[in-house]
This record gives sequence, C-alpha cells and structure tokens, in this order.
Amino acid sequence: MDINAVLSLGAEGEEDSYAGKLYLMAPYLAFSSLDKKSVRFTIPLSTVRRVERLNARAGIYALSLALWHGGKIIVQLTSLRPTADLFCALLRDALKIELQKGRMKSVKGFVKTCYSEVLVSAAAPTPSDEKDEAEGADDASESSYHGGLGLRFRFPGDPKKLREASKIKLWTTYLKSHGRNLTLLRYPQCTRLVQVGLPNRLRGEMWETLSGSLFLRYSNPGLYEQLLEQNTGRTTTSTEDIEKDLHRSLPEYAGYQSEEGINALRRVLQAYSFKNPELGYCQAMNILAAAILIYMSEEQAFWLLEVLCDRLLPGYYAPSMHGTLLDQRVFESLVQRCLPIIHDHFTTVDVQLSVASLPWFLSLYINSMPMIFAFRIVDCFFCMGPKVLFQVGLAILKINGEKLLQIQDDGGFLNLMRDYFASLGDSAHPNSSDPRARAITRFQELLLVSFREFSVITDDLILSERKRFRHEIIHSIETFSKRSAVRNLRSLGRFTKEQAGLVYDALYQAMCEGVEEKPETRIQLRTFQYFLSEIATWARDEKIVSNGFQQRIDRDVAEHEFIDRLFFFWDTSCCGALSFQDLVHGLDGVMFNDLMENIEWFFNLHDKNKDGFLTKDEVLTVSESFLFIFRFEVGDAYLGAVSRFMTNAFEYGDALLADSDQSQENQDQETQNQETQAGVDGEPLPIPSNQPYLNLATFRMVVLADEILESFFETDLSGSFRLDPVAELELQPSASGLLGEFWSTIATDNNKKMFNMFTDEIGKTIGKHQVIHRPSIGRYKNLEEPKARESLLTPGMRHSASKTSLRSSPSSSSLRPSSTASSTTATSQLLTVKVPSPPTGKDREPASAIGYSPMVQAANAALLARPAFTIDDAKDDDDDDTEDDLEIGDNDDQVMDEVDAFLEAHDSGLTDADKAVAKDLINAKPV
Amino acid sequence: MAEAASGSTDKSVQVKLVLLGEAAVGKSSVVLRFVSDEFQANKEPTIGAAFLTQKCRLEDRVLRYEIWDTAGQERFHSLAPMYYRNAQAAVVVYDITKASSLEKAKSWVKELQRQANPNIVIALAGNKLDLVQSSSSSSGTPLSESSEDEADDATATPGETPSSSSGEPESLRQVPREEAQAYATEAGLLFFETSAKTGEGVVEIFTEIAKKIPIEHILAATRGSVGRPGAAGRAGGAQEGAVNLEENANKPKDACNC
Ligand SMILES: Nc1nc2c(ncn2[C@@H]2O[C@H](COP(=O)(O)OP(=O)(O)OP(=O)(O)O)[C@@H](O)[C@H]2O)c(=O)[nH]1
Ligand SMILES: [Mg+2]
Repeated sequence: MDINAVLSLGAEGEEDSYAGKLYLMAPYLAFSSLDKKSVRFTIPLSTVRRVERLNARAGIYALSLALWHGGKIIVQLTSLRPTADLFCALLRDALKIELQKGRMKSVKGFVKTCYSEVLVSAAAPTPSDEKDEAEGADDASESSYHGGLGLRFRFPGDPKKLREASKIKLWTTYLKSHGRNLTLLRYPQCTRLVQVGLPNRLRGEMWETLSGSLFLRYSNPGLYEQLLEQNTGRTTTSTEDIEKDLHRSLPEYAGYQSEEGINALRRVLQAYSFKNPELGYCQAMNILAAAILIYMSEEQAFWLLEVLCDRLLPGYYAPSMHGTLLDQRVFESLVQRCLPIIHDHFTTVDVQLSVASLPWFLSLYINSMPMIFAFRIVDCFFCMGPKVLFQVGLAILKINGEKLLQIQDDGGFLNLMRDYFASLGDSAHPNSSDPRARAITRFQELLLVSFREFSVITDDLILSERKRFRHEIIHSIETFSKRSAVRNLRSLGRFTKEQAGLVYDALYQAMCEGVEEKPETRIQLRTFQYFLSEIATWARDEKIVSNGFQQRIDRDVAEHEFIDRLFFFWDTSCCGALSFQDLVHGLDGVMFNDLMENIEWFFNLHDKNKDGFLTKDEVLTVSESFLFIFRFEVGDAYLGAVSRFMTNAFEYGDALLADSDQSQENQDQETQNQETQAGVDGEPLPIPSNQPYLNLATFRMVVLADEILESFFETDLSGSFRLDPVAELELQPSASGLLGEFWSTIATDNNKKMFNMFTDEIGKTIGKHQVIHRPSIGRYKNLEEPKARESLLTPGMRHSASKTSLRSSPSSSSLRPSSTASSTTATSQLLTVKVPSPPTGKDREPASAIGYSPMVQAANAALLARPAFTIDDAKDDDDDDTEDDLEIGDNDDQVMDEVDAFLEAHDSGLTDADKAVAKDLINAKPV
Repeated sequence: MAEAASGSTDKSVQVKLVLLGEAAVGKSSVVLRFVSDEFQANKEPTIGAAFLTQKCRLEDRVLRYEIWDTAGQERFHSLAPMYYRNAQAAVVVYDITKASSLEKAKSWVKELQRQANPNIVIALAGNKLDLVQSSSSSSGTPLSESSEDEADDATATPGETPSSSSGEPESLRQVPREEAQAYATEAGLLFFETSAKTGEGVVEIFTEIAKKIPIEHILAATRGSVGRPGAAGRAGGAQEGAVNLEENANKPKDACNC
C-alpha cells in the first residue's frame, strides 16, 4: 500500500524535508518524492532495526525508523489517521514476517561483500596518493568485498585525471550520512555525484545499487553458482555463440588477454543464457558483460546483466530484437520532434538515423566512444534510467548539428560521428580566452547538453512513445520474418509465395497461442495442433452457441491420434519437430491431390512401417481417423460410410487373403473358409492383427465402393485444408434490436468473454442455451443413408456383417445423448457391435474387436442413436444468420422479461461485475 | 579504423558494397585487410554495422568503395536490409572450416538476389584459407603473385589458383573448394577463397567486383539525377584530394590501391 508522507533525516537532518509517497511492498519499503526524482529510496525491510512512533505534537503522526547502517529516517505520515494506522499495522506485520524468516540476520553477511562498507569503516581516510589505485590488488585480497577485474588489471583511464581520490572522499561522506548498498537513500546530491563520474572502485557496487540488481543478488544468494553447477558441460547455440565472442570482447583490455578474464566472461554470459534461454545470447551482451566485469564480481555482473536485459533494455537482445527496433523508432520520432531541421535534412538526403544510433543504444555507447567516457554515460544510465540513452543521443546530434546538415549519405554520417567520438577528450572551446571554458571537454559539453537541454525527455515520455510505435514495429518484424522464411524455403511445392505466406501466418498464430519457439525453429506436437487448427476444418472443435441473445462460434483446438499421426508423417527427418519447410511440404502433399492421390496419401499416412500394407490394427485406425474427421457431420451418412468401410475392408481383406492362402497353402482347407467361420469356430488366425493385411489396391477398392468416401477423397479432404485466415470468433451480432447496439459497445475481448459467459448462464436458465458443433465437411446433411454401391465382390463373398450392426439398432434406442455435442464421444459400453474381424488365435471371443477400439463401437452406437433434431439447427451458419437474427429480434421483449425474472431470482448469485453488466443490459433499451 | 579515402576525379565512381555472412567468419577482418592491410587477431564483433571506405583503381577508372560491414549473428538479420538497400555489390563470406557457414551464405545470396538491387554483383568468399594451408604455403604465397594469377585467370576459373593445388592439411577444412565453386557458378557469383590473416585473395575480390560492376550504368544514373539534392551531393560531396596511387597502379592486375 502507499501513503502520503514527509521524509526527513533524523539527527543528520541537514537536508530539507521532502513530501512524497511511502510505499510498502513487502519485503521492501520505498519512498519517492512528489517530483519522482529528487529523493528516492528502496530498502529491504530486513534492514530496518527499529520502528518508533514519535511523540510529537498532537495531530502529527510520525515514525522513526532506525536502519541497519545506523542512520535514522523520520517519516511523517500525512494521510488520514485511519490510513496511517493501517499502514503501521501492515508494516509491523511485514517486519514480523521478515524477522521470522531470519532475513534480518542475513544482512550482516551480505553487506560484507560491499566495498562501501570498507570505505565507511576505514578508520583512516582514503589514501590521498592517487597512485594507490594501480596497486589496488593488495587490499582486495585482504577483504571479502566483491570487485571486478579492474582491481587486478587496473581500471581504464588515469586515476589522477579522473580525480579518483577526491571522488572517493565525497562518496565516503555521502555514504556515511545517507546509507549505502542496501539502505542507500538517494538525495539530489547522489545524482550530482553520479553525473561527475563514479570512482572506479565504487563503480560496480553503485551500479548494482542504483539499478536495483543489488536486491536480486541479496535475495537470491548462491543462485549464480548453482546455475553454473547445474549446467556444467552443457552446450547450446548460445554457448557456441558465446565462445566465438569471448576473445572479441574489449580485447584491448589487459584482463581479457588473460584466462582469468575470459573465464569470468564465459561464466557470466553462460549463466545468463541458462537463466533466460529464450533470450540466450546476443552479440553486444559480450561487450556489456566485459565492461561491467571490470568493475564488479561475476555474481554482481550476472545480476546486473539480468536487470539490463530484462528491465532496463527490454527486448533489446531478444531474438527478434524488437526492443532495439522499437527504441530506434522512438529515437527517430524524438529527433523529429526536438531537432526537426536535422530530421528534415536526413529525410531529404535519405540518411538513416539508426545506421549510427543503433549501436549506441545496443552497447550503451561502450562500443562507440572511448571507454572512460562511455562508462560515465553508463553511470548516469543506471542512476537515471533508459531516458539517458535518448538524451545523450539527441545531444550528440544537436552538438554536431551544423556538420550534420552538410552530410549527404549514410557513410558521411558515420564518418562524422566517428570523428566526433574520437575528439570527446578535446576542449569544447579551444579558442576561448577563458581558461576555465577551455578546460571544458567535449564530453562534458555533451553531458551538459544532454541533461540541460533535453530534460524534457522523461521516462514517461519514452514509455508513451514506445507504446505509440509498438504495433508498427511488431508488424514490420512479422512481415520481415515472414518474407525471409518464405524466401528460405527450399521448395514451395505447388504453393505460390502468397499461399506459403498464409501457411506462415498460421504457424505464427500457432506460436503465439502455443508456448514454445520462434518461427525460425521447429515446432513440437502441441504447437502443431494449434497450427493445424488454423488450417484444417476438422482440426478444430467449433461450437455454434446460441443462448437466446446471441449466436457465436466457440473454437477449440482438437486433439486426436490422427493429428499426431500427421505430425509424425510430416516429420520426414524424424527429429520430433516440424520446420516451416516440413509444414509446407506436408500441406503440399495433400492440398493439391486428386481422388487417387488422396486415397494413396491417406493409405500411406496409416501405413506406419511403409511396407505397402495396412495391418488389421491399422484398418481400424483408418476408421477411427474417419470418425474423427466426420465427428461433427450432420446426419447418418458419414457414420454409415465408415461402418460400411469397415465391413468392406475386412470382407475384401479376408477374401483376398483367402485367395492367396489358397494358392499358397492348397492343402489347408480350413483356412480357405476362414472368413465364413470367423468368430464361430475359433480357428487359429493365419494373419495376426499386426501383420500385413490390406494393400493399396484393395484399400482403394473399399473406398471407391462408397459414394461418400469417394467424394471425401475426391474433393472434401483437400478442401478441408484452408489457408485463408479463420474468420473471427463470433458470428455477426444481430443488427436489429438492443443487443446489436449493446454488443458494439462492449467489443473488447474480455468484455465479450464475460458477456458470453453471462448470456450462456441466462440462456441455460431460460432454456435457450444450445450448442451445436459445426461440421468440418458439411456435404451430406440428410438422415437418409446414401446407398452403398454394388459390391465389387461376388455376392457370395459378401458377409452379413454390415447387417449385423444394423440389427443391433433397436438396443440403441435407449441411448439418449445428453446434448448434440456428444455425437461420437458418447461411448456406450452396452452395445456390442460385431466387427467382422476374425478372432485372434488365443482370444476366441468374437467380440474381441471391442478391445481394439471403443471409438469404432461408439461410432456404430452413435450412428444408430443419432437424434434427428440436429439437422434443423446445424445448417451452414452463413445462411443461418438472418433467420436467427430475426428470431432474436422478434423475441427481444420476451427474452428481456425472462432476463428480468432471472436476475431477480438469482440476484445474490451474481458478482458485482455481472450485476453491472446485467444492469447495463437492461438499461440499454432505448430503441 | 579506415581512413576515408578522399577525393573524386571525374572518373571516380562510388560503389556501395555490403558484407554479409555468419558471425565470426571474418567479414570485418577481410575489410580491415582490404582497407588498411592489417590483421587483428581479436576483432570485436560488429554491432549493427561498420562503415569504411577504400578506393580501387581499375584501368582508367577509380572506384570508391563504400563498405558496409554488417553483424553476423542471426538475430541481427532483420537489420540487414537497412545496410544492403541500394548496394551495388555484396561480398558474402563464409568460413571454410565451418560447413554451416556456407549454408548461411547461401541463404544470404538468396535473399540478396530476391530483395536487393537487381543488378547487384555478388561475390562469395571462403575465408580463413590460412587455417588449412601448411605453414610454408601460406607464407609463401605473396599477395602480388596470387593477384597476378587471379587477374590473368579472370573470374571464370579461379579454381586453378595455386592455393588449391598446394598441399593442405585438410583436417580443418569443412567446405571443399570444388563444392563452393560449383555452387557459386550455378548461382552466378564470383568466387574466392581468402585469408584475412595472410591477405591472400582479399584484394582480388574487390578487383573482380570492380570489373564486373556496370560502371557506366552507375555513372549514368548519377549524372542523370544531378538535379536531385541527394545524388548531386553524393557525387560532389567528397573533399578534393589527389588520388593516391602506387607506382604500379597502372597495371590492371594490381588494380586496387590499398
Ligand atoms: N586464421 C584466421 N582467422 C581469421 C581470419 N579472418 C578472421 N579471423 C578471425 O576470426 C574471428 C572473427 O573475425 P571477424 O572479422 O571479427 O568476424 P566477423 O565476420 O566480422 O564477425 P561478426 O562481426 O561477429 O559478424 C577473429 O578472431 C579473427 O581474428 C582468417 O583469414 N584467418
Ligand atoms: Mg564483424
């Protein structure tokens, strides 16, 4: 919770008091002054040693907090009394929890790792001899504080010129009075000190304190080491990329010419890539890591890198680099706004700003300007946030404004920038008569201009600009990756580029819905299911829901073995994942087929060992696949077709088998007749269920024996794959009446979801709720069973099995599906449909087929139990709309009355939000 | 860092050239060799892109290469169009000790052929040749000698340069010269094997590209668009300065001045 408060520093209170807000966000307590920048602090509650309510004048509610470092802060709670009481109570509870967790004790050990403690506790003032900087290695070994490679390999820059000693002195004073590390209070003086450049030895710690990464290190002790330990020896694309760049990171720095430095760099980058595998490793991170490792330990650097990549520069180093592109766009718009003349000139001569500015942002200027200067920008960056990058960028352009107006192309722009950066150490006013003006370097001028003239660039502005361009950037990234993905296909098959683009869109959609992966890589089964649901009508469950108010389509991703089979069928390289190319290739294999090709495709899909034969098991699987694809078809036609398919398949199969048996094993008369005796005398089977059984020719014959299956393979199968994006999730709302109006006013996803749920509820109560599955094929809608073709086999060979299933129909009449939705899934164990499969050798039960396939039985059951009423409702939705709308329109009044009644009856059962929606619903009746 | 070669005579033509290829194959090193005849063992990865210029003399003409050296890591890919737009030439580099880098090179070629300037001249360069050469042969192949061979052979038969016939410790090599050559021929690319470290083959790339560039075309385009501020500035914007040529610069085979 937050509360208004006035902050002052107890005893040392030389500073003014600041009004602001105090935030309790366990386990932290934070304060921010009203202007959001003058005074701020965030302290872990575990550093609070004592809280006292001050006995002050009446009406004033003040707390004194004694902090771990000995300092005291006084906060006067200026909100109303009850709020203040509540805040105190919460604070007390939160502190208790910290105490119980033993966090208070961990402070002591942790602060030992901080150099600031060494500074403050040193009895003697810091050595005034500047040269000490160089010999720093000695006291580093004495103490346990964390430090960087600089302690051993020196820090960049001349300590004397950098005035290290006086900076250290100033900071020691500040840290003594305003806290340090975990308890640093940030007063204006702090920012000023940062702006003149942090002293080398304190730099690392201040970076982590200012950026907040210190808290991550504090609250995750040992995690860095653990990550490395758990992943020892692991190689990934990231570790490979890292390896390439290890010797290419600030190679001129002595530390990176030694194994020690290289190993530290390797560990930090690897640990980060293990922690955040999605981001992994991006070039430029090596430069950042190498830079910060000069000033901080591996563990410190690891956490700072985390804060950098995740929070300060979000999306900069992601695989799509969207953050980088976005901030470049933002920068460009800021240039346009603040430096319109330069922007216009760039536009005229077609110079692209980001050819120069992109590396600035990506490497925090470390790669662009001499290190000592870049580090000072980094100081400000950690202290004041990402806006600093923009301010400095604008200042660079502004200072070089006149010259920039002379440049004519990208190359000229880059050369100018390079020369400018090389001259940052020079005097900004070399010809001035005032020696003090002459002493000002170009770098100092740059910082001055950055923070003086571009103070309008605030974090809020950056945030809102990012928001403004986010969509544009994402769109262009998508278009780009789509274009290059399509281009990189080895083969388009018979698709046009546009069609391949549509496949890519579906893939992209699937990746957004699914969990994993980026489009360049391969997708796993789960994402494939999403993908297919975008493309194939039968790979999604579409329910047309009507509840008396609206009609909409709810869409779900279907899961079925058939889809899994397709996945592995398309996985030609057998790696358990599909590439974009695999998908294009796979779709190409089915979308352009004619009748015969489709039959063969379907056959091959089910012929697991590719020996040109389906086993009996596989024949059953084929029928299950049919049933899956036809699961939402209206009427009996398709179920009949599948049933006939099974009958015929086993009949033909056995017949042909018998033929071949006859020729091969003439002496065995028993087997010759086996199909007629099947299931009767339990004759041992010549062909077990997993042996080759049905070849393609026979399969074709079986399929072509049926009109429905023929039309399925002729056009419907290929036609069930549709590349055009799937239409929106709801049907057009009724334009007439109040609901149409209402609908358009709530049209956000969340509202719609709520509305849908709500109206469903009402619909159920008033008996108007109805769910109809949308058919995937939708060709045959009548109940009548199309006549099976004349068998290709002689009548004598035909078995009565198909009649068997029909015969069992009376028994099924008792089955009442609970809803129309339960067509195929309403499995009935009561029914024993005789599948004409000969019993296996050991199992003599004729009903052994049940063990195979509950689905097949269910199909038969469903076929027979199919209720008639679906036909009326499940017409193609396109034609339906008007009719339904009219109906809704006509019934509006009646429905609304029912709603009223419902609301009254169920008032208490509704949440406030629901009630509001309902009230709106009722009041929205002006027409 | 390269010093921007200055100066433009009437005959000087600016050619925008872009380097593409997988990370760490040696793009920046090749450019550095071409521009300042140096080699740095540990070159920082290129962030975004680097820009350098170098002149190249070809018979009576002087080309001024504006070289865009891009970052190689896959995730920088989406930035590449920014650099190859309007490019008249491209050098796609792979590392002959790393088979995957040739695959990446092929995909760059494909992208260039479809997305870039339609007349773009593309050269394929298999870099790090020194790694597969016995130390004697790599040191014994002076620049001038190999460049002479290259120049005489012209572009069609670079497969017969001495480097391929010299004994190679083939253990490191992952991309056979013949394979890359065959691909380059099929795709209509110039092809070289190079070493930024020894300098072998580096200058030749740029010379051969210079020969193949439709210079008249560029000149005409530049002249034709004098009215436009951008193009006019481009032609006349460079500071004046004498074209600094080596003594043998008039020999076409040592065409590049670097
Ligand atoms: N032995 C050998 N090493 C080379 C050669 N060229 C480059 N290298 C080394 O390969 C590494 C990468 O070289 P770079 O020139 O930075 O590679 P790049 O292609 O510019 O890499 P990115 O900028 O990351 O895309 C460096 O360590 C070079 O020293 C070569 O011809 N021979
Ligand atoms: Mg490079």
